[in-house]
Amino acid sequence: MSLWVDKWRPRSLDDLHYHHGLSDRLKALAASGDFPHMLFYGPSGAGKKTRIAGTLLELFGKGVEKIKIDQRVFTTPTKRKLDVNIVQSNYHIEFTPSEVGNYDRLVIQDILKEIAQTQQVDLNAKQKFKVVVIHEADALTRDAQAALRRTMEKYMSNMRLILCANSTSKLIAPIRSRCLLMRVAAPSTEEMQTVLDFVAKHEGFAIPEDTVSLIAADAGGNLRKAILVLEALKMQNPDLSVSALSIAKPDWETYCHKVADMIVQEQSPARVMEVRTKLYELLSHCIPPTIVLKTIADRVVEQVDEALKADIMHWAAIYEARMRIGNKKIFHLEAWVVKVMSLYKHFFYDIDMDGFDE
Amino acid sequence: MLDDLSASVATKLVVEDLQQATKPAQPATASSSALWVDRYKPNRFTELLGDDRVHREVLSWVKEWDNCVFGKGKARGKKRARGDEDGENTDEWRRPKEKLLLLSGPPGLGKTTLAHIVAAHAGYEAFEINASDARSADVVDLRIRPALESGSKVGSSKPVLVVIDEIDGATGGSENAGGFIHKLIQLTYDRPKKKGKQGEKTQSRPLRRPIICICNDLYAASLAKLRQHARIVRFSRPNDLHIIRRLREICEGENMKADARALATLVGVAQGDFRGCLNTLQMLKSRNTEVTETMVRSATEGMKEAEASQMVVLNDLFSPLSRKRAKELGIREDEPRFVSRLSREIDGCGSIDKVAIGCFEHYALLHRHDGTFSRYVKGMEWICTYDHMSGTMRTDREYSLMPYLSYSLVAFYPLFQERGAQKAERPKADWEHYTQTKTNQEIYGSLAQCLRTAASRCGGGYRHFSNEPLLQLELAPYLNRIISPPLRPVNSQVIRPAEKALLARLVDIMATLELRFVQEKNEDGQLVYRLDPPVDVFVTYDGKRAADLAVSRYAVRHLVAAEIDAQVIARHAEGLEKTKGKTDPFFAGKKSAGADEGQPAAKRARKDDKLVEKAAVDFFGRTIIPKETHQSIAKAARKANVYRVSYKFNEGNSAAVRKPVKVSAFL
Repeated sequence: MSLWVDKWRPRSLDDLHYHHGLSDRLKALAASGDFPHMLFYGPSGAGKKTRIAGTLLELFGKGVEKIKIDQRVFTTPTKRKLDVNIVQSNYHIEFTPSEVGNYDRLVIQDILKEIAQTQQVDLNAKQKFKVVVIHEADALTRDAQAALRRTMEKYMSNMRLILCANSTSKLIAPIRSRCLLMRVAAPSTEEMQTVLDFVAKHEGFAIPEDTVSLIAADAGGNLRKAILVLEALKMQNPDLSVSALSIAKPDWETYCHKVADMIVQEQSPARVMEVRTKLYELLSHCIPPTIVLKTIADRVVEQVDEALKADIMHWAAIYEARMRIGNKKIFHLEAWVVKVMSLYKHFFYDIDMDGFDE
Repeated sequence: MLDDLSASVATKLVVEDLQQATKPAQPATASSSALWVDRYKPNRFTELLGDDRVHREVLSWVKEWDNCVFGKGKARGKKRARGDEDGENTDEWRRPKEKLLLLSGPPGLGKTTLAHIVAAHAGYEAFEINASDARSADVVDLRIRPALESGSKVGSSKPVLVVIDEIDGATGGSENAGGFIHKLIQLTYDRPKKKGKQGEKTQSRPLRRPIICICNDLYAASLAKLRQHARIVRFSRPNDLHIIRRLREICEGENMKADARALATLVGVAQGDFRGCLNTLQMLKSRNTEVTETMVRSATEGMKEAEASQMVVLNDLFSPLSRKRAKELGIREDEPRFVSRLSREIDGCGSIDKVAIGCFEHYALLHRHDGTFSRYVKGMEWICTYDHMSGTMRTDREYSLMPYLSYSLVAFYPLFQERGAQKAERPKADWEHYTQTKTNQEIYGSLAQCLRTAASRCGGGYRHFSNEPLLQLELAPYLNRIISPPLRPVNSQVIRPAEKALLARLVDIMATLELRFVQEKNEDGQLVYRLDPPVDVFVTYDGKRAADLAVSRYAVRHLVAAEIDAQVIARHAEGLEKTKGKTDPFFAGKKSAGADEGQPAAKRARKDDKLVEKAAVDFFGRTIIPKETHQSIAKAARKANVYRVSYKFNEGNSAAVRKPVKVSAFL
């Protein structure tokens, strides 16, 4: 037995609850014998990995579920050791190259070459190629993506790639054009409700109607989150009646909201320092800085005047872009905070005070 | 015209004559080409310049070796008394407690000179290793040890004293075993210890000659280990008056006219560096016989700029030029231009990143009125620019950007400088954040590892969660909620069915995901159960747990921990049962099964008993219920798994027919 989110994950394409059109297409592709490289993209928690697993099952049969997980060590030219976790079956291999940050090119080249240059040994295998699944393909560096380009064509006879990404915008165009793009959209609220009901039914309890809709609405299209929330709620108060229910947000989110409130409440150097300690706290909990900035900005925008919203978001985007280029995330986060405070003050005074300070 | 010409020639001749006349007056023509630093080097202990206490401290340390080096006869009464006091029992050779002496201080104060003079004074011959020699670890073996063990130099009767100069530049550092410093430390303590243990005389010779190490930066990373093993003597800048007096004596000896102000400026600029002063004077002498303040200024430009530390730079950035500093730098106090001065200073301090962090941590503490935050916005713009440039420089290896980095920090001066403002403090928040992040990353790592083990056991189930952002954003917070249901600490036999189901589910999840409660004692000596890996830090912000999550009570955790243990054992047994069914039921299979089955159960039981004996105490100091609960659980667990005990007689000894026999056959 395990967490519901894993226990009730559909194993095959037939078990999926939504996007039936997509499932049919995947099934047809797997049966056609002419399987292309694929790129699955869509928001987090929409079911990309589930669909990839289903497709693999369709392609190779049960053997693909016999996996082993191991850690492989790569050595960089500078003699640094990199550990990469690799999930492997006889027919496919999965890994997340972005685990090793800037060295992902090395890992990709190594693994792909190894896979591509050996043919399928198993004579009983349904397909004569192996599949390489690359998770978080949008986090790949430029170099790594460039390394993919040529191999994708060269070793087509021995290997197919399945990329999994949140958005296609960070993938270079040559890769996009070499793949069949599969968009996995987030499930609608109704679809999520059916899944939640399905889980509840199989776990042997019933959820009140409004609780289901509450959870589904709160998850915002992230089914994994919805099921985790359901299980957490069930653990916390087993009767699940909507009156006694408050859906807990993840703690980092609550904390981000607190920071946003602080920014709106007061604009002073002392407050900047307070906000900074809070930002440090968030970053030290390994919350990605982009997410931090986005969550805070969303919350700030909710609370300020209409005229300011566009500006705040504009600057958030600018500082986010700079943050990616720079080294120290905290500088850029705080720069944005200061900028927002300044905008807010300008708006509050409704006059341009710049001239007075000089 | 002609008269004029002849007059000028005449004066020239007179000057030449004068010069010729002065030349023989100098001490020795041969040494006139020598550096003044060498010529005016002190030759005796009493000639040393600077703090006498420091000199005596060094000398007395060297003298402490007398007993060891020169034998008992030579030791003076005072020293012997000292040895009787504390040396006799600690060291058979009556050596000082620290076998190394570490002299530290800024350059040019005479550390090396002191070491040599003290060596000569105490009757040693100095053996010097400095930066011009290779200083890898094998130098210790190839040169230092032979020198120490032979005791004296070839063709000399004096014992040797090793002086290791500029030790802070030694390669290898102290952390790896192959480093120079590491070897050096081993030289001092490892050997005598070995000797004491084994009594072998050939292999392990104790250190019997003093070693003096000299460094500039006492807190260099490579010296971290050495500091604990050495007696440390710090050199500080001697009083300017002494230096000036000595300089004046020298000037008189060299027939130079130097006014007091010029010399004072020179010493001030050199910041007490006597060697630097002498070299400058010699250079001036080669041009002129007169020394004035302006000349000193022009000659020493840029002499000490590399000395400004990170904190000095920070304070210069955030406060206007003080009168003293202006004087030191030789510029007017109200000098409007600052860019070149500050950028040079920032470049010079060497740790520009730290200055940037210092700026970042300090700027918001300044409370000059700023109605619309425009100054702060500008400041942040600059620091973002700095980060952008340094980031590009590092990642794209564009080191040609380096010279421009400092300018983005200079901008803080016009924006934030303020007289009498709070002093900048050494930045520490960033470092704290860094260490905290490292710890948390480790916890995430171990959680991901747990998930992976779970995945490999359950056929790849959890593997998707161990990916980076998912783990932090979704799994960690909700997992914490899932594993902390509102359980009441009651006896597991009177528990309500609903709660029982909850407990069973909780135990199941935790056992699957490899989460455990580990018993520990907290600082008050109370027993607590800690979650392992401590994933609950991820719902703890600012040291407070999330409001909707109650901390489960000790008793509850105790109950859960026991149940998890029971389940793990049960699973283990189950797994073995399965494998046993599969494998050939001959010796090998049975043996391992028997051993594995019997042992953990026995150990488990023993541990359980121990836990019960310890008798957990609740908040009020009473023993608490889980005692019974626990026993009953343990009993239940034991009842649930009735282990078969198998025993093998004389395994591997006999060539006779082997056959598995039940223990009951023997009884």
